[in-house]
Amino acid sequence: MERQLFFSGNEAIAHGAVRAGAGFACGYPGTPSSEIVETTARLKGIRSQWCVNEKVALETAVGASLAGVRSMVTMKHVGLNVAADPFMTLSLTGVNAGLVVVSADDPGMHSSQNEQDNRAFAKFAKVPMLEPADSQEAYDFMAEAFSLSEEFDTPVLLRTTTRVSHGRGQVLPRVPVDVPRREYARDISKYVMVPQFARLRNRLVLERLEKLRRRAEQSPLNVLEAGTSDFGIIASGVAYTYAREAFPKAWFLKLGMSHPLPCAKVVRLYEQVSRVAVVEELDPFFEEQVRALGLPVVGKAAIPWDGELDQEVVFRALEPYLLRKPPRRRRPVLPPAPRSTDPPKPAPGLPVRPPVLCPGCSHRSVFSALRRRRLAPMGDIGCYTLGALPPLLAMDSCLCMGASIGMMAGFNVALGEKAAVGVIGDSTFFHSGVTPLIDAVYNGVEGMVVILDNRTTAMTGHQGHPGSGLRPDREQGPSVDIQRLCEGIGVRCVTVDATDHAALDAAVAEEAGAPGLGVIVALAPCVLTSREKAGEVVVDEDRCNLCGLCLDLGCPSIAPGDDAVSILETCTGCGLCVEVCRRGALSLVEAGSCP
Amino acid sequence: MPLNGTTTVSLVGVGGQGILLGAAILAETASFAGLQVKASEVKGMAQRGGSVLSTVRFGARVWSPVGPRADVVIATELLEGIRGLALLRPQGTMVCATSTRVTPGSVLRREEEYPDDLAGEARRRRVRLVEVDAEGLARAAGTSRAVNVALLGAASAVLPFDPHHWRAGLEAVLPDRILEVNLRAFELGRAVVPTREVES
Repeated sequence: MERQLFFSGNEAIAHGAVRAGAGFACGYPGTPSSEIVETTARLKGIRSQWCVNEKVALETAVGASLAGVRSMVTMKHVGLNVAADPFMTLSLTGVNAGLVVVSADDPGMHSSQNEQDNRAFAKFAKVPMLEPADSQEAYDFMAEAFSLSEEFDTPVLLRTTTRVSHGRGQVLPRVPVDVPRREYARDISKYVMVPQFARLRNRLVLERLEKLRRRAEQSPLNVLEAGTSDFGIIASGVAYTYAREAFPKAWFLKLGMSHPLPCAKVVRLYEQVSRVAVVEELDPFFEEQVRALGLPVVGKAAIPWDGELDQEVVFRALEPYLLRKPPRRRRPVLPPAPRSTDPPKPAPGLPVRPPVLCPGCSHRSVFSALRRRRLAPMGDIGCYTLGALPPLLAMDSCLCMGASIGMMAGFNVALGEKAAVGVIGDSTFFHSGVTPLIDAVYNGVEGMVVILDNRTTAMTGHQGHPGSGLRPDREQGPSVDIQRLCEGIGVRCVTVDATDHAALDAAVAEEAGAPGLGVIVALAPCVLTSREKAGEVVVDEDRCNLCGLCLDLGCPSIAPGDDAVSILETCTGCGLCVEVCRRGALSLVEAGSCP
Repeated sequence: MPLNGTTTVSLVGVGGQGILLGAAILAETASFAGLQVKASEVKGMAQRGGSVLSTVRFGARVWSPVGPRADVVIATELLEGIRGLALLRPQGTMVCATSTRVTPGSVLRREEEYPDDLAGEARRRRVRLVEVDAEGLARAAGTSRAVNVALLGAASAVLPFDPHHWRAGLEAVLPDRILEVNLRAFELGRAVVPTREVES
């Protein structure tokens, strides 16, 4: 006889993930989720990491998914609050290899400060959600979760509760899923969520939601189970098991893929019975959606909102309802497919005027140096995100504030090499870049981080931050030294004058070739705050052959002419174009000297 | 679409051309004229060379800070003026600094062409066009930076405010040291005669 395994839900999730071909698992411990990563850490074929917090954990998993490895990230319910920033925008970018977010909720607060119902996050982020009811389902659903993630290009939320995560049961192992590794392909309009691209992705999210609803209608995870009484129950997760035992003769709509709700299946249940109840712990998540169909239902009118349920609570709550006359009902109205706004119509034939990096912006020299090293720059949020656009194309991703370093870590860990570099501004670094740097030290990540330190929060209007020490009333407070902070964490760190292009390039070259983790602080005050002209760039028209190297810097002060480039009066004399020119056609006459 | 007698004015241009300042002057002026005023702008990219749009709405009772169609569009740059035609209601008025051109990167790189047929496009859309050499007027007043105010002067001919309202609006927004030169730019703009009436 084949030996059956006896797993907790969390162990089953871990084994199910490995069976589904997951190669990377991370998370932050939190009851009742912690045993998942503890279990994967004992299994072969999967790399496991504790991360510094849930936000960094999710960003790291995103990096690994981009690199082509199926990835899982685990946390308790409140952990998803911490990870909500990347989670919400990850819905827009979608994934490369499958990515599953496991949220273990804690009704009854056995070990938590609240008992929020994280099913709301599936609706909030418009992503599919699976809810296993026991260990076998926890094991089996992982393969379905990864497959949905890749098929629909979306993160998948797998939601458990304490009784599923910590409950134990037999698990019949299944044949491992054969998953070919996905190659990483840079796709800026998919992974760099600047407004113009995010608007396009948002429309795809709405289309995806409708496709997922159709999938939920057909999914074998959503089962209409025949009963012998005139009573139907809609339930998911452990609440289903309580209801099953309390009302063995009832009809059931058992929801395994519980978001989006399979409304037609709900209607089919109503065609079988004259009374329907929703049995769910915490919020009336299904109940409100059933009511929105125009169908009478009993749910939270009888069943407690807070705490855990059990068979007796469910039975006592619903028994009186069975004796009552069946409610009158109208024809259900299925929800309409989501509509999106009319697509933006650019005026035909008119040149666009996208925002660009300013002339003389020091970020440009960093991008120029990175470009030469063929590193995938995981970007972040700030002026420098503009470097993602043509002609610079200097950024592969922009997910949310502080995501660059975690994504770099996950990407490099998955590929086992220094393939990606994290690029982050000074204000964003203080916002949420310090924790992933600590994480990268702890997890022994091979990688490079470039902090674009222009001493201000430039994009939003030059507000102060802990690095500048400037307060909103322009009073000068104490400031935090980035280099000393990095060294305190234990990271190798150099500060380079970002206006010294050769030094910056040398620092990037050295760090790219060095083992381990290093930070380069590229320091130069924002040109909009200094506005000093360093000099004049002079063009030797005989030498210029319009090769385009300087034009590829995307500097708004360089224009191609008929025979040679010309330099416009907006030029600050930063000299980067002089540096990249291979024909010696450009030269810098420094301010104050006579030409 | 009836909008309850509310007038909508949109100011368009390139970051750094004083669009937000011009909108502030217009809003103050309408306020001095005893009207209710609401305004809105998208300014995240204002200093990064992107297109900038600011909208001012005024009337006896204004509900929303934005509206789908403008009665008047004030453009501080030619290309943005041509782009801004799409914001105008039929028979609306475009006041454009036609001598001001800020070449976008795609044109510098010769991927796209800078358009110049504002008059033809305005005729096709049946809107009234006021072409202003705002840069010339501003320079004549004493500073090339007063393009926005010279345009407000030109637009004042089609807006329902008295000269003393405008003066109060300019005084309320502009610092003393640049007030005189801007008042001159406003007067020079006000003297501009519309070059093209709406053809019926």
